[in-house]
Amino acid sequence: MRYPSTVLDIGQTVPAIPGLDLGSDPALIVFFETDCPTCRLAVPYLNKLARGARVIGISQDDQAATNQFTQQLATAFPVQRDSGLALSRRFDLTFVPSLFLIDHNGRVLRSHFGFDKAVLNEIATQMRCPPVAEDFDGAPQSKPGCMSRHLEPKVEGEFGPGPAIGFTRGVPASVIEVPDGEDLFEYCFQTFGDALPVIPPTPERISNMLSGATVNPGEVIARVPPCYGEATVEKIAANAVMAGCLPNMMRVLLPLVRVVCDERLNIHGVQATTHFAAPLVLINGPIRNELGFAYRQNAFSNVARANSTLGRALQLILLNIGGARPDAIDMSTLGNPGKFCYCIAEHEEANPWEPFHVERGFQRQQSALTLFAAEAPHGVSEHTARTPEQVLKSISYALATVWTYRACLGFDAVVVLCPEHARTIHRAGWTKQQAREFLFENTGVPVRAYQDAPDAEGSQLISKYQEILIDGERCYQKFRSPGSIRIVVVGGTAGKFSAVIGSWAAGPRGSEMVTYPI
Amino acid sequence: MPTKLINPMNETPVRVSTPPARPRSLQGKTVGLLDISKTGGNLFLDRLEHLLRERFHVANVVRTMKPTFAKPAPPGIIEQLRAVDAVVEALAD
Repeated sequence: MRYPSTVLDIGQTVPAIPGLDLGSDPALIVFFETDCPTCRLAVPYLNKLARGARVIGISQDDQAATNQFTQQLATAFPVQRDSGLALSRRFDLTFVPSLFLIDHNGRVLRSHFGFDKAVLNEIATQMRCPPVAEDFDGAPQSKPGCMSRHLEPKVEGEFGPGPAIGFTRGVPASVIEVPDGEDLFEYCFQTFGDALPVIPPTPERISNMLSGATVNPGEVIARVPPCYGEATVEKIAANAVMAGCLPNMMRVLLPLVRVVCDERLNIHGVQATTHFAAPLVLINGPIRNELGFAYRQNAFSNVARANSTLGRALQLILLNIGGARPDAIDMSTLGNPGKFCYCIAEHEEANPWEPFHVERGFQRQQSALTLFAAEAPHGVSEHTARTPEQVLKSISYALATVWTYRACLGFDAVVVLCPEHARTIHRAGWTKQQAREFLFENTGVPVRAYQDAPDAEGSQLISKYQEILIDGERCYQKFRSPGSIRIVVVGGTAGKFSAVIGSWAAGPRGSEMVTYPI
Repeated sequence: MPTKLINPMNETPVRVSTPPARPRSLQGKTVGLLDISKTGGNLFLDRLEHLLRERFHVANVVRTMKPTFAKPAPPGIIEQLRAVDAVVEALAD
């Protein structure tokens, strides 16, 4: 869906921007608000564009909010403030993000507002840069923006802080009194727990937890499906206390609650399906070491407080605020041990390629979290192969069994490469993309597997499958594209054990992987 | 002295509605059949529609389908079913 363009027409000269020397090449002027989700979504793509072209950000917010925005999102282009929103008025914006591509005379070559991958790629082409936005990278194709700050209803004073979009005040949590003589831990275990003991959420502990948050305890961070309970900062802190988090974990937990409720992940479906899916959390960037996330040996195990408490806090929030109680709303046939905790971090130091979040459009020095509706890990032992082809072939056999052997196309997978396997592949000069393409081209289900099984799951859809030859054998290709296979490097440096993790129903009709900055 | 705890559970107010009374008979009624787009749902609902018309003498059958079983029904689908007397949802595989 396209939205009408901004008010300045092509060919018109833009109002003068204080301190801006137009230079000889086209420049892209981007107006944004610091709390606009669409503006935040656009920044990684603008960062990519800024590698080869001139991008100038104009913030509609105050210095503190702008600084926080540029630090959090690691903006790779200069940002200046629109003091008093004078420029916004002169440009006559309606929405943010508003993009104006201007030539060296300050004439508008193109304008657009909102986020649209196709438009960003067209602008990149006009600026003689490679495309910046890939399809199916976890972000939507397009997303409408927010109303320009100067058009918002006024609050205190003409240019006071605008109302925070997407935030509202929630109902304060009630106080429960546990009578004397009752075992406090047993009470909490039975009333709030996930079938494991929890730390009692006393006011003192919650107050301490809130010291790790910079937002008001009453702010609603998200409404958590399937019951759409309001996750206020206070409620999130209460569940963080119960899970054993340290206050600094609120830095990660608040964006985590926001991302788990991102409509693309579709946690409503993930929580309500009879499938095995549970949200897998992947942490990238400097925060791994700052907060002590485990990513070496035992990365999926109970080895670090950070992974265990963050993963469990998320699950408690989904249970207690989202209402996905097992045997009530969550009727998963077999469930998933990851519903206690499913949180890993990438071993970026042992990853010979770019870290996963960089592949997803973020800066290396930035921290990010990724969510994936995941089955349990399926181990692949390969201790004797010496070439990339042999290692990846072994992994492709496990990939062929994702969802169920005969089913193709409807799902994605994460390949968790151990450092030794990653090294073997990289040592031969392979890029991560080459590895992914090899897995794509070599993962299939032999056509003979469908003979005599017309009613088996997957057999009814063969008219939609692509037939290919793998090692001379006719096969149906397992995945839709190389992009359906994500590669991360995790684990200890000793041992040649990788893993394959299948998804729930993938794509816009199911669940899509989502990555957010921390 | 009792120990105070901050309630960590969902306390968002919800609107409670009462389901309508079940119809005593389907004769002359309009029945909605909702396919959630799972494999085989159409086979089940085709047979059910036949039975409703032949055996239960319903006046009309409204057939509708969710675009994906993985997400809640979009508002348009709910609107389509608002006017019928009863709904059967082909929920599972």
